[in-house]
Amino acid sequence: MSDNVQENVQENEILIDIRDLSKSFGDLKVLTNISTTIRKGDVVCVIGPSGSGKSTFLRCLNLLEQPTGGQILVEGDDITAPGANIDQLRRKMGMVFQQFNLFPHMTILENMTLAPIKLLKKEKAQAEQEAMELLRRVGLEEKASSYPAQLSGGQKQRVAIVRALAMHPDVMLFDEPTSALDPEMVGEVLNVMRQLAKERMTMVVVTHEMGFAREVGTRVMFMEGGNFLEENEPEAFFSNPQNERLKAFLGKVL
Amino acid sequence: MEALKEALYLNLIKDDRWQYLTEGLKNTLLITLFATLIGIGLGLLIAIVRSTYDKTGRLKILSGICKVYLTVIRGTPVVIQLMIFYYCIFTSRIFSGVFVGIIAFGLNSAAYVAEIFRSGIMSIDEGQMEAGRSLGFNYVQTMRYIIMPQAFKNVLPALCNEFVVLLKETSVAGYVAVQDLTKGGDIIRSRTYDAWTPLLIVAAIYLILTMVFSHFAGNVERSLRKNER
Repeated sequence: MSDNVQENVQENEILIDIRDLSKSFGDLKVLTNISTTIRKGDVVCVIGPSGSGKSTFLRCLNLLEQPTGGQILVEGDDITAPGANIDQLRRKMGMVFQQFNLFPHMTILENMTLAPIKLLKKEKAQAEQEAMELLRRVGLEEKASSYPAQLSGGQKQRVAIVRALAMHPDVMLFDEPTSALDPEMVGEVLNVMRQLAKERMTMVVVTHEMGFAREVGTRVMFMEGGNFLEENEPEAFFSNPQNERLKAFLGKVL
Repeated sequence: MEALKEALYLNLIKDDRWQYLTEGLKNTLLITLFATLIGIGLGLLIAIVRSTYDKTGRLKILSGICKVYLTVIRGTPVVIQLMIFYYCIFTSRIFSGVFVGIIAFGLNSAAYVAEIFRSGIMSIDEGQMEAGRSLGFNYVQTMRYIIMPQAFKNVLPALCNEFVVLLKETSVAGYVAVQDLTKGGDIIRSRTYDAWTPLLIVAAIYLILTMVFSHFAGNVERSLRKNER
């Protein structure tokens, strides 16, 4: 998976620069003037109570939600500018959903090779070879010709992760990737993500897994009411929280 | 028994009257087949326009036009539509009744097929569109590779039903001088003054057609679904 890291991107270079990001649904303000940066190699974990805007924040990053204010710069390009090529941009940003969203009418291998063949114009044989290699890494090579309905939740989510990786993204966005899983399947998905982090993949993870955030995150951010109230490196974040609401939140979930 | 033989001879064999039925059947199948093609093609287009508007708010004007089309077509009898096409629009008799029938039944069927396809598209989870878009597919590509194949599978039973309905509906084509299967039976009745025999034979032919087709459609549907369980 290390070949996913583009060589021309310097270490610590800013990958995503978020400036005054706002998002409202009608009168409901979900995000208010968020500014932050995501650098190459970061594993940013976003935590917070439900309804705080975590998922909306993540979905704004690849414009699945259209921001109502502010700018998002990805590798220097303003993706919120009119006429920005969103489809091109999304190829560089892999996304993993809570509900997996595998394509049920395709085999696992077809799920993984569809985008590389159609969008990156890869030869079928090459795309399949790469997909098999990715499947091997997550221990699912024998599922290549199965359909999603024949897989467990944990297996589906592992496939969803490698499907996104098959596009060689610069950053991976995870939207509560383990929230829809039975408890005994959470570990297998987190292991894959842990492995990815080790390989220096840039990741933004919205999660309720505090253990994962603490162990794998390079930075943890607490969101409530549409804003980041506190962010820190994991050790200090969890052992010495400053914000009162974060203290209350951690008191409830830890 | 002797009477049945007599009736069959009178209605089918004598003066080669069976040819009214075969000629009629040919026209019925011709109209149904080509009207189905028009219905599916145009219906698909309308469904995509309407569901694109429902989902994204784009194509507002086109969607409005489609809505009017659906309302008018579905709110008026197909016989009237057929006669309007035959007596008002395609008035030149270089257009055969069969041709006019294909156009009228095709445009009529499109309205119903459009709603079938639209319900299929709308039944696909929004997450499928998001997954497609997040990989870098544009809206059209996502529809084509991800949404439509699933939607088509979901609506196949309803589509087959629409085909059966259309096959039976074409029996009013006789109104515009098309000699379809029903009209063929009519002609025989007018020659033999026997109502029972030709009508029952015509009914049996329709029944056999729809049963054979339904059986075939069921097989296709099962084989499409096989892999997903």
